Amino acid sequence: MLSDTPPVPRQGKLHGEPIDGQCLKSLVEAGLTWLRTNQQIVNSLNVFPVPDGDTGTNMVLTMQAAYDEIGKSPERNFGKMAHAVAHGALMGARGNSGVILSQIWRGFSRSLDNLEMMDGPALVHALTMARDTAYKGVVRPVEGTILTVSKDIADAAQNALKKTDDPAQILEVLVSAADESVQRTPELLAVLREAGVVDSGGKGLFFILEGMLRYLQGQSLEAAVATIQPLAAMNMENALEAIEPGQDYEVVVDFHPTQPLDIQDFYGELEKMGTSIQVGEGDGIYRMHIHVSTEKRYYPIDYVMSLGTITKVAMENLLAQMEQREEPCGGSQAKLPQVTIEPGQIAVVAVAPGMGISRVFNSLGAAGIVEGGQTMNPSTQEIIHSFENLPTDKIIILPNNKNIILTGKAAAELTVKKVAVIPSTTVPQGLAAMMRLVPDGDFDQVVQEMTNALDDVETGEITWATRNVEIDGVEVQEGQIIALLNGKLICASYDLEQTCLTFLQKAHAEHFELITMFYGNNVSKAEVYKIVDRVRTEYPRQEVEVQEGCQPHYQFIIGVE
Amino acid sequence: MDGSQIALVTDSTADIPEYLVDKYNIHVVPNILILNGQSHDDGVDITREEFYNSLPGMKIQPTTSTASSGTYEELYTRLLSSGAEYIISLHAASSLSGIYNAARLAAESFKDRIYVFDSEQVTLGLGFQVLAVAEAISKGTTLEKISELIQNIRPRARVYAMLDTLEYVRRSGRVSWARARLGNLLNFKPFVELIEGKVLNLGETRTRHRGIDRLKELLFNLGALENLAILHTNAESDARQFWAEVKDHFQPSIEPLIVNVTTIIGVHIGPNGLGFAAIIKS
Repeated sequence: MLSDTPPVPRQGKLHGEPIDGQCLKSLVEAGLTWLRTNQQIVNSLNVFPVPDGDTGTNMVLTMQAAYDEIGKSPERNFGKMAHAVAHGALMGARGNSGVILSQIWRGFSRSLDNLEMMDGPALVHALTMARDTAYKGVVRPVEGTILTVSKDIADAAQNALKKTDDPAQILEVLVSAADESVQRTPELLAVLREAGVVDSGGKGLFFILEGMLRYLQGQSLEAAVATIQPLAAMNMENALEAIEPGQDYEVVVDFHPTQPLDIQDFYGELEKMGTSIQVGEGDGIYRMHIHVSTEKRYYPIDYVMSLGTITKVAMENLLAQMEQREEPCGGSQAKLPQVTIEPGQIAVVAVAPGMGISRVFNSLGAAGIVEGGQTMNPSTQEIIHSFENLPTDKIIILPNNKNIILTGKAAAELTVKKVAVIPSTTVPQGLAAMMRLVPDGDFDQVVQEMTNALDDVETGEITWATRNVEIDGVEVQEGQIIALLNGKLICASYDLEQTCLTFLQKAHAEHFELITMFYGNNVSKAEVYKIVDRVRTEYPRQEVEVQEGCQPHYQFIIGVE
Repeated sequence: MDGSQIALVTDSTADIPEYLVDKYNIHVVPNILILNGQSHDDGVDITREEFYNSLPGMKIQPTTSTASSGTYEELYTRLLSSGAEYIISLHAASSLSGIYNAARLAAESFKDRIYVFDSEQVTLGLGFQVLAVAEAISKGTTLEKISELIQNIRPRARVYAMLDTLEYVRRSGRVSWARARLGNLLNFKPFVELIEGKVLNLGETRTRHRGIDRLKELLFNLGALENLAILHTNAESDARQFWAEVKDHFQPSIEPLIVNVTTIIGVHIGPNGLGFAAIIKS
């Protein structure tokens, strides 16, 4: 295991001193320590090949295994020590990045058989071998990864050798070459570019080398350095997830500094004002992000103004924003997350009567949402508009209301795309059909399965009676609350709760598994909670799911399945 | 060469029951479960039951890793120096895990003596392939025929599962559609199919009851089967119930394995999943 104290830094070590096995041990320990300090940064960058956020952890485990192999070794021979490091890494390699890291160590050690002391030319040769072995470590090498960084390091070492054969000076060159190489990885690998990150494995390798250099230069290995990230990588969404009490304002300032920015000082000053500090840079523009209390909301702006020219300021009240988030009826269809449709895939357009219901259809993969429902039938044009720009010609329409089926069919006739209208007459039916959507499936088969699924659910619609009437043997007074079971009037009363319970009884909910209740914008939350509690008590064996549907006219739309 | 000179290696994602591992002398390399930054060999330190019971409450999502290529290298060296002439090493789908690559790297230094195969499957989709090879080895089949056997059986292997939630697949990062399709709905059971290394989404159901009907439909659609395993992640009574409800469909009858899936896979699908692995009759 690692000793509790970091390796004793000795300023200027290596310059002119012999580099033996014991020195390598200290360097490995320094690389491991610095990597561990920055492990979370590496984890957070992990999007390739599998975005599971464990690259940093895997590289630390691999380096730990390498260090454990040599931690107690008194070996002075550099080559033998390097072989031991490689063996430890090979045995303890974790994950893709760990495998490649172990191959780097293996290649590195391979050319050093029994070499007593490391020197410049031997280092350069070993790095070349490390690169070659790393590339063989994967079936299909991909550029823009730790492999590219290993290649750029090897090239930089070769160039450096023309100017110096001092390993310490070469290491300095390597660290900056690795840094630049990591910064270039998004240019080589599209998935990194899209995510706005640099490669995690490459960054991990950089930290290992930088740790070694920091050790030689006598710098601390325990505290992570404040960093500037690429602008595109700044993640404000996540910042919003973690709002600290009292820090009610989010302030984002873009600026050009007049003098080169001292990042440590900059962070230091900002930390006096607030939390969740992030600093990004791109094309000479800096962006500062901070959460501050209401009374300090202008401090960061004044401070940044003292450092340079402000180009843009954005300030938001986080509490208000949070409340809006908890209010799904806010926003518009246009703001829903885009559902990605590949050419040739099946895309669904759903008609939804409220933002909450729209969100659910959207989250299930409906590429187009058209607002509509009872007394607000969308036009044929609106429906066509919702799918004409989708990059596929296979479209399925879910009207979710019996009065919109014909509009859907009219839309189908006015387009060259292949369109099927599935005759869903209620929202729960539409959702049941969505469950059977297989975007890559055979069109006719998917249409058939989605149509069959309409019978998977019983629908309840709870609403006001707008006039006195008798239908299906049920007498209704204007102002009563009525329930429709699959479109058919089944009961009426002056009490919302009573109507809901009678509906569930008539729908034989006790024989089903799941009751989903979408509540409308004409019923208070307090009333919703009261009714849902009652339903849960009456139906203890059924799962009761409550969603804010935001639909007008209907206090509840209920699915029983 | 005679079959006894061929050693058979797989990894713990094959989910082969202990008695069959012993019967055929299969060498199973444990994969690594990483809990709170500590490595654990699959099946050691924590049982599958314990793991699945505690998974939903774990603050740090566990991750998994292949055993290192060094581990494979050591095993290969040991087998080759203790009588094996050749080694067949058959592993989890390379599209989902680095296991195949770790084994392949380790095999490089033993030219022409170790044959590493990508099963394009996991759990018993892999396990049944390994068992078929084990059976062939025990009958003295040649290396060439064994390679043909794997090519033949691989496209007939299927795994289907109904997951209790999409959350774990999404977190695992291994399936791109899972990130897009995480629903706002709470009750939501996605169906997945693993075929020739690809994980496909077969839609969802809202209720477990309908999900089980859906699984039956998927099972019956496969036609006649050579092998069947009912798979679950800590839902053994559901698995047994499922078999009870479908067994009459199989005439002549078959005896399925009922398996609580390895934690290495379970990390990525979560508890309370139900499914099956099958080899379709050729």
